[in-house]
Amino acid sequence: MTHGELKEDIAAYALDALAPEEARKVEAHLRACEECRSEVAALREVAGELASGAPMVEPPSALRARVLAAVRPTPPAVTLPRAWAVSLAGAAAAVLLILAGLTVSLQRERAALHARLAAQGQVLALLASPTAKTASLTGTVPAGVRFVYDPDRRRAALVVTDLRDPGREFVYQLWLIAGQQPESAGVFRPVPGQPIIVPVAADLARYQVVAITVERGPHGVPRPTATPILLAKI
Amino acid sequence: MRGLLSLRHSGSATDEALLAAAAQGDVRAFEALYDRYSRAVYSLALRMLRDAKAVEEVTQEVFLSVWRGGRDYDPRRGSARSWILALAHHKSVDAVRHQRLRAADRLSEEMTGETDVVGEAIRSVEGARVREALAALSEVQREAITLAYYQGYTQQEIADRLGLPLGTVKTRMRDGMLRLRILLGRSMQGEQT
Ligand SMILES: [Zn+2]
Repeated sequence: MTHGELKEDIAAYALDALAPEEARKVEAHLRACEECRSEVAALREVAGELASGAPMVEPPSALRARVLAAVRPTPPAVTLPRAWAVSLAGAAAAVLLILAGLTVSLQRERAALHARLAAQGQVLALLASPTAKTASLTGTVPAGVRFVYDPDRRRAALVVTDLRDPGREFVYQLWLIAGQQPESAGVFRPVPGQPIIVPVAADLARYQVVAITVERGPHGVPRPTATPILLAKI
Repeated sequence: MRGLLSLRHSGSATDEALLAAAAQGDVRAFEALYDRYSRAVYSLALRMLRDAKAVEEVTQEVFLSVWRGGRDYDPRRGSARSWILALAHHKSVDAVRHQRLRAADRLSEEMTGETDVVGEAIRSVEGARVREALAALSEVQREAITLAYYQGYTQQEIADRLGLPLGTVKTRMRDGMLRLRILLGRSMQGEQT
């Protein structure tokens, strides 16, 4: 299709009035044509004005809560070599070695460096603390999952050495439970053959139980939808 | 720890700065964008879909795309505002077309012209500025743009519905949009200052 032919469709494109295959043709042309790109930009502004022709209705506040819960950041999972994880509860000297080998798996590459530093800092502070405690999570599946926490420093980390894959569409979601009230502490997926650490920042004195459910990914849910597969009292 | 770009003054930050910060994982910047645009997004989806559940789904999808796709936004291709509203329109159109497929009976009723879809669409345009601008178009331009933007019809569907050659609909849509651009241009600039 030529520039001239496509130009005829640009207004319809800006109005989303093309069939999907026509829209794809326009998009292919836009990648190559600066003139059409700037015309689309201008017509998009016009279309944006048409949006304010819709009668304004306040969205429900529950929707706001749901959307914000969906984007609440997932603690970056920290992976470390299996051999080091075994000695995790042991010598503090090993801690520095572990930290040297930390690799962070993150969806957001640009946030990776910041998150890695913060995660390392958290885990370092936690493992170095003489007041840190450990609870093993048990439940309906075989697992090697420990919750290391330090109520004094409001820091904790979930150490996952063995946990099966939750399935393509699913994630594990960690919950801190105060009374009857579960609060999400993040979602994670196990990395095959590699232990991972999920850092948690929370006022741990408030909670009595830590639990894990299987939830729909990638963001998890604001409230648990299933019974926990693993839990521990803290 | 999460606010990589800590926007303490998110109240005065530009949409573009908020979008860039949200793309880096800044939840507060995202929250500020939600508070600025959720009403417009929700209202547009409601205007097009009318079904509360579908409207909430579209709104949620739009903002998750803003969150996940903010780094795809290119300032050279328009304002952040028009990018978000285009996203909202695009997803609403997808949903409305899906609704129509499922309610084929209602579609055939609409398509035979038993209900005054165009008239209803034009009467319900609420923003005074937009209504005035649409009123300044020729009737056939207004009809084409209204059916496309607020009802989510494709140009081919509009041609079929009005019994016109496709080329005629394309021309009306294009002339109408260029005219709207002039009519709304001054107020658009005024708004951005
Ligand atoms: Zn071109």
